[in-house]
Amino acid sequence: MKRRNIALSLTLLFLFSLPFAYGEQVQIRILHVNDFHGFAEPYQPLRSDERVGGIAYLAARANDLRKEKPSFLLSAGDMIQGNNWANLSQGESVIELMNGMEFDAMVLGNHEFDFGQDVLGKRILEAKFPVLGANVEGMRDLKPYVIKERKGVKVAIVGVVTEDVPISTHPKNVAGLKFISPIDTVEKYIPELKKNADLIIVLSHIGHPVDRILAERVKGIDVIVGGHSHTKVERPVKVGNTIIVQAWEHAKALGVLDLTIENGRVIGFEGHLEEIKPQIGGEDKAALAIVEKYKQKMDAVLNERVGETEVDLDGENVRKRETNLGDLIADIMRHVSGADVTIINGGGIRTSIKRGEIRVKDIYSVSPFDNYIVAIKLTGKQVREALEHGVSAVEDEEGRFPQVSGLSFKYSPSDQKGSRIKEVLIAGQPIVPDREYIVATNDFLAAGGDGYKAFGEAIKASRDFSIIGGMMKGEKVAYSESGRWLRDVVVEYLKEMKKVAPRVEGRIIEIY
Amino acid sequence: MKVYVNHIPVDVLPGMTVKHALIHAGLLKEREVSKKVYDEWGNEVGLDGALLEGMKIYVGNAKSQAPNSK
Repeated sequence: MKRRNIALSLTLLFLFSLPFAYGEQVQIRILHVNDFHGFAEPYQPLRSDERVGGIAYLAARANDLRKEKPSFLLSAGDMIQGNNWANLSQGESVIELMNGMEFDAMVLGNHEFDFGQDVLGKRILEAKFPVLGANVEGMRDLKPYVIKERKGVKVAIVGVVTEDVPISTHPKNVAGLKFISPIDTVEKYIPELKKNADLIIVLSHIGHPVDRILAERVKGIDVIVGGHSHTKVERPVKVGNTIIVQAWEHAKALGVLDLTIENGRVIGFEGHLEEIKPQIGGEDKAALAIVEKYKQKMDAVLNERVGETEVDLDGENVRKRETNLGDLIADIMRHVSGADVTIINGGGIRTSIKRGEIRVKDIYSVSPFDNYIVAIKLTGKQVREALEHGVSAVEDEEGRFPQVSGLSFKYSPSDQKGSRIKEVLIAGQPIVPDREYIVATNDFLAAGGDGYKAFGEAIKASRDFSIIGGMMKGEKVAYSESGRWLRDVVVEYLKEMKKVAPRVEGRIIEIY
Repeated sequence: MKVYVNHIPVDVLPGMTVKHALIHAGLLKEREVSKKVYDEWGNEVGLDGALLEGMKIYVGNAKSQAPNSK
């Protein structure tokens, strides 16, 4: 009898110590976004008839859904960099917006590092929600996880980012930081989280394919809210006992995952993506006010003076001959990347700048594409082949026509395609076919854009990417900074130069 | 880094995205004329989506191209 009483007392004590009534079902809603990249306003995708996205509309929908049941609003990273609306305030606009929307947590994405650690540190301090990065060592004010409670259910949210950050941003942005394997990190934290929480959510910026591997390898994760691969996971996926979700990109969708929990376990779930489209009156007024406020600031930044040109900068003739604007941009790219030469496509330069003041918006009009600088080692033979390709459609004024720096060449436009290049000099010396030169270009040409094959061949031959001497290196890759658009590099350079007066120097000479 | 576009191997730099893989495969124009890009499970992916070593993506009008699509 005494033993039975003790057992009964222990059972009651156990039941009362539970955070919610034993046997009671609790509904919790997870709202999630990822890879916003500062796309605050609705936009019309290429070849689409309708506008999509718009963070003020997403905020309104999130508010409505939060009223229905206890909820979390989570971000799986890559929020503060990308679109001008974010870039021109270095992500300050995005954090103010997220504060206003009352996010519960976010994990760092790889692009959160693109403005450098000082800026990122400021953004983390401005955030009224925890910013997570369990696998990042050395970054102040970053939390590995947070435990939050809804209706008596304790939910641990642990954040991990891809360990490829050091090879996808400039090395100076991650100097002194260490990125540990996300899978090992989550595995390490699981026992600690299990002791202190009922549910475990991994907020992941490692990409959907790796989310699936994480779910397979590490037991005990209830939900993975993913990002990085911009995947439109229309319905939640279950791998083992883990539910995986991801909500596409650019505020085009709000992820909704409803969990039914009993005795600290997920016993049911239902999820979907709410596609976001602008509707009259459908916006959240507070979010819209923040969007508008930074739009006005953006306009002010775009009107800022960056320097002055003493001559007209020719962006009209870049598809058929050397121009001073082509020279200037190619020179800046060579200088910034430390390359021997630059070869870019004239088609990447979209307009001219008149003599006088240069404003940010002028540079953005000249270089409107989200291109970044890459420098690749090419042999002299490959450089020559690239130039041959570049002049092969000059009669049609195609965008492939090269603008160059660090080299000069003569070509005969009337000769057969493939044998037009007559002389190539690098630093004043004849090009050596089997010598390697570091060639700066943009990511578009590096990927084979405008039909340039030489860069792709070099990338194919490049293995074992790693950080050497603070810079991402492959066998053939000397420089790559995917988080900094070329237009912003040009703006910064011109701010330093203050005044320019580039003249056509005879780098590209037609002969007949 | 090697990825596969419609089963064709493509070499890209770390940090490059779905867009770069399509340029490399000569398929970006197809994407521009309303074809969508899917991963191997039939999920649509954005042009700015990160690529991962060995990733398989498919360009087409129907997501049924993806082998593990449901």
